Amino acid sequence: MSATELVEELARVRAGDAQAWGELYRQYAPAIFRFCRRALPAREDAEDATTEIFMKVRQKLGTYDSSRPFTAWLYKVASNHCWDMLRRRRIRQDLETGDVESLPLEHPDPDQLERLQVERTSKEVRDALARLPDRARMALVLRYYADLSYDEIADTLGVRRAFVGVLLLRARHQLRDVLGAEPAGMRGAAAGSKG
Amino acid sequence: MNHFDEMTALLYLDAQLDTERAQEIAAHATECSSCQELLRALRDEGAWLHRSLVAGEETVPARLMEAPERGSTPWGWVTALALGASGAYTLWTSVIVPWQSQAAQAGFTQTNLLTMLFFSGAFWKGWDAMRSLTEFLAMSTLAIVVSWLLRRHWRRLMAVALVMSAILFLLTAPSPVRAAEMKHGDPNYTLRSDETVPTDLFVAAQRTVIDGNIDGDLVAWSQVVIVDGHVKGDVIVFGQQLRVSGTVDGNVRCFVQSATINGSVARNVMSWSNEATLDQKGTIGGSITVFANDLTLAGKVGGDVLGFANFTDVSGTLGRDLTVRTDHLSIASTAEVKGRVKYRSEHEADVASGAKLGSIEREVSKAQPRYLSWRYYWHRILLWGAGFVFGLVLLLLVPGFYADATAACKKYAPASGFGLLFLFATPIAALIMCVTIVGLAIGVTTFLLYAIAVYASTVFVSGFVGEALLGPKPGMGPAIGRLALGLLLLHVLRVLPYIGGWVLFIEIFWGMGALVLALYKRLRTQVAIPVPA
Repeated sequence: MSATELVEELARVRAGDAQAWGELYRQYAPAIFRFCRRALPAREDAEDATTEIFMKVRQKLGTYDSSRPFTAWLYKVASNHCWDMLRRRRIRQDLETGDVESLPLEHPDPDQLERLQVERTSKEVRDALARLPDRARMALVLRYYADLSYDEIADTLGVRRAFVGVLLLRARHQLRDVLGAEPAGMRGAAAGSKG
Repeated sequence: MNHFDEMTALLYLDAQLDTERAQEIAAHATECSSCQELLRALRDEGAWLHRSLVAGEETVPARLMEAPERGSTPWGWVTALALGASGAYTLWTSVIVPWQSQAAQAGFTQTNLLTMLFFSGAFWKGWDAMRSLTEFLAMSTLAIVVSWLLRRHWRRLMAVALVMSAILFLLTAPSPVRAAEMKHGDPNYTLRSDETVPTDLFVAAQRTVIDGNIDGDLVAWSQVVIVDGHVKGDVIVFGQQLRVSGTVDGNVRCFVQSATINGSVARNVMSWSNEATLDQKGTIGGSITVFANDLTLAGKVGGDVLGFANFTDVSGTLGRDLTVRTDHLSIASTAEVKGRVKYRSEHEADVASGAKLGSIEREVSKAQPRYLSWRYYWHRILLWGAGFVFGLVLLLLVPGFYADATAACKKYAPASGFGLLFLFATPIAALIMCVTIVGLAIGVTTFLLYAIAVYASTVFVSGFVGEALLGPKPGMGPAIGRLALGLLLLHVLRVLPYIGGWVLFIEIFWGMGALVLALYKRLRTQVAIPVPA
């Protein structure tokens, strides 16, 4: 769909055209569902979240600034919703800003990083992602799936912009730790049957 | 320039450094192979992460195929919440209030919920009303609404159950913990007339005689218990024979072979016994609730009498109503019942001419072929309606789960197998849980959920039968149509003599299995285990 077509379709949705809304939903729902699956560990939650995000999108469509890419706005709505969900139910608080900043990070071995990328499948990475603390997982998903900027990530996660880099780096380290902790192929095989 | 660290490298790659710093990094990287290597590794890692996250097609579930409509939920929610509210109202007016009043009438005025749970259910007459259709529907809906609201917390089900148990346990724990005396007979125990026990007294002996005073309760496990003294609290007895000739300021509750009261009980009496006798000299200030073979009332009772007995003889004075289910009721000429006498019996009561009764009424159980009554068919229609509304609520609130459960009916063998297993194993497990006090809440909750599951089972099978007849056309309208037709067909089959019961049984275990399979599908979602930072 071209930019012009999208603008027209959005205008029709705003005017209450049910067919246009259906088309818009069918076009973006799979991507948003996939995003929710990355952000929320339970499939059931991802399904609920997808529906709720689109309800919000329909309500807030009037506030969308057409000078910005629609997908970026859509992912921002989805990010806020998922992060709200996680925050509401969080039992174990993630590490506070100060704690993370003071944590020493081991300098990576480029060869080891390369080996990890060769040995680990995409599925294994996604499974490992689901095992990260909420904030680390969200940071990686926002940056490397939704392609949000540092400003948008800071805004979504409610942290200072200068802290986003620390958060991302820490999350990468945690992901490396999880992936490096188990033999290649094991995690994927174990989680293979899960939704 | 020194080597830069990983953080700086990441910020550089993400274009987060100011121009001057970025130029420094770029210049250094051209000269330093190790920093160049670090930049390359991090860049590759970023691209790898992006590829990994974007890769992997997720199957979009069927229930997400249609765009959500802004105005689609309110009326469903309004209906559900209205039914939920009526369920709460029903719970309050039909269960809590009558329960409390009945319990208070029978002497359970303290805040000991566990005691009330154990003793009041057996004689509470409101269970008949509770079985009425709309109330059951409302109660079920209330449970569904609560379940729906808690759906995201199911993974913490055990925690919820434990919290509920803890709350109930706290509620049921006797509030003021008083000191109590424990006595073991050798083999008999006697509290002499010049002795006073200032607290509760617990006695386990072959023969227990209380000639003295007890300021608290008397709880006795004994073959024979004789109370000739003064008990200021309650008397609770488990044994063969109880005789109260003295004074009890509280209540008497006994599980004995023979109970005789020829003294004074200020409050109420509840007795499970073969023979229950209130002698001429005996007086009871409150009410009597009796389950006995022989019930003799020759003394004076201030309140109501509720009895289940084979033989009931009344020759004393009853301050209020006599309600009894008995084979033979005999009212002597000396008897005086100031309230109403209501009895259910196969035989006419033998009422002596001099007896003074407010009124007397006999209930006779009517044996009429049910098929001849229009009420029967009206009742069937109402049952169908209830099932339909219940199914509709499920469809609106949990369409995905409804679809899963209906689809699971197609797995005939696993559904039937799991259904039979859970149908019989669940109540047994719940019963076992109820035996332990801490597990009581979990057990009762399990029973309630089990009842709802049994009812829901028939709805899922109806949906499946409807689909088999009308085909799997997508959309809410066709699903409602399938549900209505399936329910209708199954209700017709249930009416048929001989096979009707089997149809219902098959529906229940088949649907139960489908429900279990659908639940299993839902619960096997992946749960994140946070890794230590």
